[in-house]
Amino acid sequence: MVFWKLFWSIFLFLSIAAFAVLLIVVAIGGFFNILTLLRTLAAEHQQENSQDEDKQ
Amino acid sequence: MDIASLTVETNFGAVDWCIVVAYLLAIVGIGVYIRRYVANVSDFIVAGRGLGTYLAVATMIGTELGLVTVMYSSQKGFTGGFAAFHIAFAAAIVTFIVGLTGFIVVPLRAMRVMTIPEFYEKRFGRDVRIFGGLILAFSGILNMGMFLKAGSLFVMGVTGLTSDYHLKVIMTALLSMVLLYTILGGMVSVVILDYIQFVVLSCGFLIAVAMSISHLGYGNIVEAVAQAKGAAGFNPFDGEGFGMSYVLWMFFMGLVSCAVWQTSVIRACSAESTTIVKKIFKLSSIGFLIRFLIPYFLGICAFVFILGDSQLKPYFLPEGGQADAQMSLLAMPVFLSKLLPSGLIGIVSAGMLAAFMSTHDSYLLCWSSVLTQDVVAPLFGNRLSSKTRLLLTRCFILLIGIFILVWGLWYPLGQDLWDYMAISGAMYSVGGFTLLAFGLYWKRASRVGAYLALITGFFAVAGLTPVQKSLPWIFEPIKAILGIEQISSAVVGIVVLVLANVLLVLGSILFPDSLRHKKSLKEFK
Repeated sequence: MVFWKLFWSIFLFLSIAAFAVLLIVVAIGGFFNILTLLRTLAAEHQQENSQDEDKQ
Repeated sequence: MDIASLTVETNFGAVDWCIVVAYLLAIVGIGVYIRRYVANVSDFIVAGRGLGTYLAVATMIGTELGLVTVMYSSQKGFTGGFAAFHIAFAAAIVTFIVGLTGFIVVPLRAMRVMTIPEFYEKRFGRDVRIFGGLILAFSGILNMGMFLKAGSLFVMGVTGLTSDYHLKVIMTALLSMVLLYTILGGMVSVVILDYIQFVVLSCGFLIAVAMSISHLGYGNIVEAVAQAKGAAGFNPFDGEGFGMSYVLWMFFMGLVSCAVWQTSVIRACSAESTTIVKKIFKLSSIGFLIRFLIPYFLGICAFVFILGDSQLKPYFLPEGGQADAQMSLLAMPVFLSKLLPSGLIGIVSAGMLAAFMSTHDSYLLCWSSVLTQDVVAPLFGNRLSSKTRLLLTRCFILLIGIFILVWGLWYPLGQDLWDYMAISGAMYSVGGFTLLAFGLYWKRASRVGAYLALITGFFAVAGLTPVQKSLPWIFEPIKAILGIEQISSAVVGIVVLVLANVLLVLGSILFPDSLRHKKSLKEFK
């Protein structure tokens, strides 16, 4: 039981530390990804609209 | 002593209600606003395949870190102690290996499929796609059937609202909001809301863990579990607790969660490239770990807290017996409502409820698109227009929403929620895994073998406690022969998995695909 107590304790604290780092990286990177995604979709939307107008 | 007689004094006040309402209205507003960016089915279902790495990781974790995950995981921590950590460990290891090797997910992304049944069609034929799609949707919808119950118990525990009437009104209102922005926005709004959920909930979790440790003391938590549960509270292989078969089953469930379960696969299919798919899975392994680990720990803290509370103890930890499934689900929210101060409990609850909505929208979108793309559209020979498919998907979202409202309030749980989720999901995932693994990596896998594996996988339903209770003439003789008191869901799952694999191989060897069938598949590709 001593082994498992120590193992899970180290596992818990290391995992939480790793997650805290991941949270910061993903929060910042994800924000910029959202801007890019919306810009791309808006551009596609505009292109489709202009193609429709050309057809008319 | 049951829930009806339980009175909980919580720190949740008027300020917290304002925070929750403002937060939920804001995210629904964002979801509806983003609708302007949805132009076609691809935008609706896989966000135009334009997810960058970090957004994909956030949305993958955001989807999986829902309120339901938090509830069933904290219940496992409450009942299993530190030994429950092995489930998080297995999930992380398996996800990381999938990220390293690209097992299943990379070839799927390379094939540019939107759903797993679409792969079935490319590999085994259209009829297998329709059959597999039906099983996937049935299993998935049943799997999310308990979401509403878990959500309602959370609201009950945190707010102290014990009236059934209030509870039903709140849950119906929440479901209506989910339906609104899922139907209007689709995947584009889902990924952005998942991102917000990921950030808010992760911060809330880290604060809750820090406060729990500061309030209870880490050494006291470990010692209290050791005294109450003994070695079984730490050693996952201990027969008094989980045992070897359960640990093995959890490694398989870890693989299913990240590489076979449609809501995860859809994220892989939404990635920009196969290189990004691998990166997403490697990074997400920490998310898959933490989505279980922190709720387990909060469940353990709830156990220790209730152990020392003479008023709550008789309800949650009755002498000489175990609390029923509903009470152990309720333990973590009750603990949080007493631990966190007003204001913070509002933010955490808003994050949790938003996560509840986020999970719902992802799952609703997922199963409705499976029904549209994999069942109805192939039945019409794929002649349905993009607009019709979008309309159908939205109709299915509404119908599934109504079903889960009824099922969540009616079904008697009778076992840990995680075990219900694992086994209802296994009705699809056992067959799904077998078809994916053999279909992608074994050229001789045939249509007959695929049918056998899918049908066999469906028998995982036998792992549900109410099913075993309702069919005693089948299960009692088996128990008598094996000399056991109960057939665990893990054993049922493993047996069905082995059978599905064996039958796929046998079926493929004995009934290989005809040349004509192989030719028709090549033409389709």
